[in-house]
Amino acid sequence: MLEKNGVRIAAVSYDSQEILKGFADKHGIGFPLLSDHDSAVIRRFGIFNSNIAPGLRAHGVPHPVEYLAAPDGVLIRKYFVENYQHRVTASSVVLREFGGVAEDAEVITLRSGALTVEIGLSGAKAFAGQEISFLAKFKLKPGWHVYGQPLPDAYTATSIAFDDPKIIRQSFELPEARRMEMAALGETLPVYGGSFQGFGSLLFKFPMDAGRTMLRGQLRFQQCGDSVCEPPETIPFKLPLTVEVFMDAEPKR
Amino acid sequence: MANEVPADLAQKAAIMREFGRRRAAGEPVSDELLAKHVNATNDNYTTGPEPGQRLPDFSLPDQRGVRRSLKNLAGANGLLLVFHRSADW
Repeated sequence: MLEKNGVRIAAVSYDSQEILKGFADKHGIGFPLLSDHDSAVIRRFGIFNSNIAPGLRAHGVPHPVEYLAAPDGVLIRKYFVENYQHRVTASSVVLREFGGVAEDAEVITLRSGALTVEIGLSGAKAFAGQEISFLAKFKLKPGWHVYGQPLPDAYTATSIAFDDPKIIRQSFELPEARRMEMAALGETLPVYGGSFQGFGSLLFKFPMDAGRTMLRGQLRFQQCGDSVCEPPETIPFKLPLTVEVFMDAEPKR
Repeated sequence: MANEVPADLAQKAAIMREFGRRRAAGEPVSDELLAKHVNATNDNYTTGPEPGQRLPDFSLPDQRGVRRSLKNLAGANGLLLVFHRSADW
């Protein structure tokens, strides 16, 4: 998916070239796996993990970071999670940078009044401990709006939250809202109208039972037209996810 | 998760060894040990260059022995460069 968007991928580790060749052959990996056997490049990037004593097998590894760079090498964005078991997936990157939901992930559509919301995950599959993303595409009929933040208590801001014990951390971001003057009320409030997108992340706990599951979430909003304001609404939804069997990366000795 | 992080490299190593030994032996790893291990491993987590900065250039061999640099790795819209622990373990 990255390749389709003109972004190449390459991975750097402290493994020898022989190990990387064996790994690439075994798993049919075509993209470059780079051998930084003395960790010199890892050090040059400033991400050498100095917590690991010489003599330990892991001595020489980096703090895991992923860099999305422009063709001229200027860093656009970086991704990291402070637990080596967690990974940001390439499809999360595509979702965030290019607005594409994974082809194999189901997209659900929620409708109420003037509002339509499509929600999709960055991937249909995830490992325990992984962080994945979701995209929410909002569409409102002309003359209608929903609210952003910050907002007085009397109104309900637009939000998506998952209430699932499998999710240990989550976020949801919307673009900056437009300020709309409510002449009748003498207030200026942050609103969204037309088409807009929100982007969220979900970090799964570790370990987690493998198999198909449903992630439960809620969409909250309050839609208002030019002359009428509907009461706040909460729409529950479920998104299917397959939890994959965790491949233990520890030694076999 | 427990928050204490051992200051000393040897203490961290003891935690990592115990964690690795239990995982390798298939013995259960307590939440406390997992938290200690994660905290010890992630102490002073650094993430390198910031957005807007140019990544340091490099020349490294790929799995086929071909030297690769930032310039010859990037696609038309750029490069996702992933630093990870190991392909071996």
